[in-house]
Amino acid sequence: MSIIKTIDLTKKFGDFTANDRINISVEKQEIKCIVGENGAGKSTLMNMLYGLLRPTSGKILLHEKETVINGPMDAIAHGLGMVHQHFKLVPSLTVYENILLGAELKKSSKSPIIDRKKEIDEVKKLIEKYKFELDPTDKIEDISVGGRQRVEILKMLYRNVDILILDEPTAVLTPQEVDELFVNLKELRAQGKTIIVITHKLREVMELSDSVTVIKQGKVVGNVLTKDTSEEELAQMMVGREVVLTVQNTAENKASEEIAYQVEDVCTINDYGKEVLQNISFCVHKGEILGVAGVEGNGQSELVKVLTGLMKTTKGKVSIYGKDVTDKWPDELRQNGLGIIPEDRYAQGLCGTMSIADNCIAGYHSVPDVCKFGLLDRKNISCKRDRFVKDFDIRVGDINGNVGQLSGGNAQKIIIAREFESNPKLLIACQPTRGVDIGSIEFIHKQILDFRNKGNAVLLISSELSEVMSLSDRIIVMYKGRIIGELSPKEVSRSEIGLLMAGIQNNKAKGAFI
Amino acid sequence: MKRMDFGKRLVNSVLPVLLAFVIGGIVILMIGENPLDTYGILLGKSLFTVKGFLNTLHYASPLILTGLAIAVTFKANIFNMGVEGQLLLGAFFSGIVGTSLPASLNPAAAQLLCLAVGVICGVVFALVPAILKAYCHVNEMVVTLMLNYAMIKVLEFLATGVFRDYSSGYVCTPIIKENAMFPRFGNSKLTMFFFIAILVFIVMYVVMNKSKLGYEITAIGKNPEFAEATGMKVHKKIMIMMIISGALSGLAGAGYMMSEQFKYTLSFSGNPGLGWDGMLIALLGGHSPVGILVAAIFYSALKTGADHINLYSTVPKEIVSVIQGLIILFLAVKFVDEHTNIREKLFRKKTGKPETAISEEA
Ligand SMILES: Nc1ncnc2c1ncn2[C@@H]1O[C@H](COP(=O)(O)OP(=O)(O)OP(=O)(O)O)[C@@H](O)[C@H]1O
Ligand SMILES: [Mg+2]
Repeated sequence: MSIIKTIDLTKKFGDFTANDRINISVEKQEIKCIVGENGAGKSTLMNMLYGLLRPTSGKILLHEKETVINGPMDAIAHGLGMVHQHFKLVPSLTVYENILLGAELKKSSKSPIIDRKKEIDEVKKLIEKYKFELDPTDKIEDISVGGRQRVEILKMLYRNVDILILDEPTAVLTPQEVDELFVNLKELRAQGKTIIVITHKLREVMELSDSVTVIKQGKVVGNVLTKDTSEEELAQMMVGREVVLTVQNTAENKASEEIAYQVEDVCTINDYGKEVLQNISFCVHKGEILGVAGVEGNGQSELVKVLTGLMKTTKGKVSIYGKDVTDKWPDELRQNGLGIIPEDRYAQGLCGTMSIADNCIAGYHSVPDVCKFGLLDRKNISCKRDRFVKDFDIRVGDINGNVGQLSGGNAQKIIIAREFESNPKLLIACQPTRGVDIGSIEFIHKQILDFRNKGNAVLLISSELSEVMSLSDRIIVMYKGRIIGELSPKEVSRSEIGLLMAGIQNNKAKGAFI
Repeated sequence: MKRMDFGKRLVNSVLPVLLAFVIGGIVILMIGENPLDTYGILLGKSLFTVKGFLNTLHYASPLILTGLAIAVTFKANIFNMGVEGQLLLGAFFSGIVGTSLPASLNPAAAQLLCLAVGVICGVVFALVPAILKAYCHVNEMVVTLMLNYAMIKVLEFLATGVFRDYSSGYVCTPIIKENAMFPRFGNSKLTMFFFIAILVFIVMYVVMNKSKLGYEITAIGKNPEFAEATGMKVHKKIMIMMIISGALSGLAGAGYMMSEQFKYTLSFSGNPGLGWDGMLIALLGGHSPVGILVAAIFYSALKTGADHINLYSTVPKEIVSVIQGLIILFLAVKFVDEHTNIREKLFRKKTGKPETAISEEA
């Protein structure tokens, strides 16, 4: 019996057809993966199921009955819950307040007063049940991106939905967390729930799902059972050509002795006075990619903030090609040849409510070919945008539209285009391929390697261990705000790094100083 | 997309005005007059006769400036509510300088000097909340709002004390010297001041739409974290915006002094005050310079037309205040809608299957 079925479901944005007569069917108690390139229309389809978008035409059948879903509340009432690609949490509220938002627990059924203790207990129970790592009383704004994701999932689980839609849930989780999540999802399936997962990681598709639907440019191009397919076949279906699934850093380490980027003894504290970075020292040579591995929330975000001018050091020195840039503003850092791919693309990298063109120049809006005598050269900016869109294969529905309308992966490509095209000498790339499709990952990885091969330096921060391992020339591992080891990716295995990431020292890690 | 946006903005501004006129019309009907005739007099005299139109432009001049002064900060989500106070201070001291000038001074020099004094006063007064906001994170809305009242009282004190013109029967400062007054063109009230306002408008149009600063202002308004991360020094930009805003307010005050009032009285900027009018105009104009220009002229037409209503019909001129109030009310509805999407929801319930997305940000 199919629990969700769509018949010729179509969604148009103006002239642009994001979903073109989609027919899918999800069986009860199965895990269904939806895959497809960036901008294929996956999120659009799910948003229609969740009532966030109205179909232009076509029908949705829930439990084989035609249903009009009037909004998220309605969807939840129908037992259908969704966790978004971009979080929808209240940053200033705590974890438990967010989970119980709209479903607050009162002292008694008539009392208007919220029973905090009961709420915290309830959420604690929920967290323990699913073995999530969260403190219910932490504020959302203080927890890592990964933690926020977990809150989003819990929020739905709390509401007892029996169909759970997850839009790229694993993009932000660490490998261990992904494993845990999968255990949970499989457990949920065993309890009779149906789960739809969007992901770009084919390895996960193979591991998790029962069946797969492939969407390409708004149309369904494949419906297969997972046991009958392979990663290569799926990749082929998605992209329409063969894809190199992991771009290997094969080149011999040609790194010169010249130091491009030096970080010495950097410390910093967060807003609450907690020391989040302790004596961080490393250097990146010319022609080298230095990877930073670590479980999310071990100081990587803060390190990136300090290095990109968004947070001040309390001690230490940072220099680019010998020039001291400690605590410099982001614009001065960029003038000194630093390119930045930020961690949270919608907060620091892009402005969703500004046009694509305006986003293409952000951070470089003072350079002479864009800005003359304080005036912006609109024509040049449009040319620049058109070039980016073409060269980086950015799929846009409406070229004059806002960045907020782009799919997640395509939005990321705007940042990639902008930062690479400004010819930096040093690149700080933070989660550069989060939420990006396999074809584009291949592309971005090649860009990073090319950039390195031209003699530039890259600092790569990623919670995606395979990304760090396949691209880096050297890896440092962060744990609790410190660097606890330096490794060569060619000499160690995944599991050895994994141990180090968990804070367990082994003797292969040289330069460790605990 | 752009065109749709523009259309939507037009509707957002025109609809409140139309609704206000409709309800105002009902009020006029209840008085027992013909609303169409009344509106005909109201707008006909102030927009469709040469003299009336020139007078309308004259009264629009300070409104264009205060509207722009508001918009430049509001667009960045910085709220300079102190335009009124900055305007009054600028006006007061340009008036004082205007009276104490030697009568032999070249008029151009005298006028420039007075304008400069107005601008400087506006800027200095705007700097107080600007510094507090940019470097100490004090909420600028509260500070600017409160300082208005402080300034009104300070000026009242000065006008009733040291600077009082005792030859006059009521509280005011001495009339400015002739060489500091803007001469009128023909038999209308229009002066140089209008052209100064237009010049400023053109400059601000370029700044807001074509310049790097305008780009940064927009970015700061839409996403401050993004602005900071892409290298816009937000606190520095706040200072610049407040300085521009203060300068425009001061200029508006000085110009109004030199083209209309010629002395500071306790009701110098009228009721509710040119600075507050500017806020309404900025909202009506959707914070865009062209919109503000149109809104200022329209609003001024209402003001000048009010006197004609008194002359040519039995409808009290206060009907214009009623209409102004209603415009504000309906403009406010727009904000309610922006935050709750009420219109979308009502619309959806009725038609059942609209095309538009419920939440586009997903
Ligand atoms: N509100 C909107 N207005 C106009 N176009 C839109 C809107 N929302 C989405 N689109 C367009 O529809 C297409 C599909 O977007 P969607 O977000 O569904 O992609 P996706 O498959 O989820 O991609 P990703 O993997 O990158 O998240 C994109 O080309 C996008 O630009
Ligand atoms: Mg998506």
